[in-house]
Amino acid sequence: MKSVVIVEDDPDIQSLIATIFSMDPRFSVVGLAESAEEAVEIARTNEPEIIVLDDRLAGELTGVEAVPQFKEVAPEAKIILFTAHADLQARVVNQPAIDAFLLKTETGELLPLAQQLTNMLSLL
Amino acid sequence: MSNIEAILDQDADPAAETGAVDDSDYARAILNILNDAGDEQKSQSDSQRAMLNILEDLEIEKTRLESTQKALINMLDDLETERGKVDKTNIELREVNDAMRSFVATAAHDLRSPLASMVGFSSLLANNWPTLSEEKRLKFATTIDRQSHKLTWLVNDLLTLSSIEGGVLNTQPEVIVLAEAINQCLAASSRDTTSVTVSCSPDLLVRADPSHLGRIIENYLQNAFKYGEPPVQIQASRAGGMVEIQVVDHGPGVPREFKTKLFGKFARADIPSTRNKKGTGLGLSIVRGLAEANGGQALFQPMVPHGSCFIVLLPTDTGAPPTDSGSRHTDERPRQ
Repeated sequence: MKSVVIVEDDPDIQSLIATIFSMDPRFSVVGLAESAEEAVEIARTNEPEIIVLDDRLAGELTGVEAVPQFKEVAPEAKIILFTAHADLQARVVNQPAIDAFLLKTETGELLPLAQQLTNMLSLL
Repeated sequence: MSNIEAILDQDADPAAETGAVDDSDYARAILNILNDAGDEQKSQSDSQRAMLNILEDLEIEKTRLESTQKALINMLDDLETERGKVDKTNIELREVNDAMRSFVATAAHDLRSPLASMVGFSSLLANNWPTLSEEKRLKFATTIDRQSHKLTWLVNDLLTLSSIEGGVLNTQPEVIVLAEAINQCLAASSRDTTSVTVSCSPDLLVRADPSHLGRIIENYLQNAFKYGEPPVQIQASRAGGMVEIQVVDHGPGVPREFKTKLFGKFARADIPSTRNKKGTGLGLSIVRGLAEANGGQALFQPMVPHGSCFIVLLPTDTGAPPTDSGSRHTDERPRQ
């Protein structure tokens, strides 16, 4: 079972992502956070395989700013930047630490993308 | 008779011809010399006159050149001034462009967020209906409902602002019992307003479009909840020929450098306390537009030691707005 941490400050979106992953038995949501600071601590403890990360969050750090910290505490985690900011994609395209970018309106793609990323992980 | 004339007379006498040849030549030579000297003098005089003319011309030319130089310097000064204006306009246009780009990105983000919930939860319902519990179905449907209201609110804000900007806002003023309008607004608010205290005489009347008044109070309340701290208070009283409504919070207040932009379009202070707050920065801009469309004014007054007081002045039931209200811009009110 692949472990997932969800970093999202909108409670409805957070609930939506958690529901999507909970409906697939191959995934287990091990942590929910509203801020990057909180999520880094969760990731340090749980070392998730997937981190679904929003950019604008409740704390001081943005999601993109926190990426190096996530990679430090959970180097094997695949990071999906899941945001409503379409223009962010161009800014993060050259950041290898971010494994995938997905717009929030494309929720149907979230699960296949997570599976694809974790399958890649198991092949290494 | 002069000596020269005498010589000439001798020259004319045939009898004296033989013996006076040398004298005559001599006299002619002198005459020629004198003629030459006269010519020379005339020539010098002409040259002198020409030189004077040239000097006069040069003086005129110099004056003309000095005048041209002055005109050129003035033109350069004017060009420099114009260049300054163009540079300033360019900076302003760049700022407007940046603000517009930022607004479009923020508006797209804020529209996309509720849409994402609606699309996501409706897909979950559609694809998993038979396996979902009644509780889950209700929860998903409630979320869709809440987010659709949020989306509607945002779209209405954008449309209202567009109407204000385009000068096509439909305003239908009525005489309103202000205390009732405030209570209705609190009851309909998307926020928990039970802690908000109200101080408003029950006989205080205001003349405004009811929907605009509701939007003004709601936007001020949203602002107080989002950026301020409790307690939040609404106070209303007569102020000259107007009614003054204040929405007071006790938060960190507004940064000094942001006060002049407070009621502007897309206005969002980039400070730690607001950076992660979601919003397009349209709320106060809409308040200003609605206040002015109803013959009123929107103002800000900092609180001491901290906090904010957002004010709207609206006409009373007389229906006679103050003569200068339309021309005054919304601004910070001087601290009392």
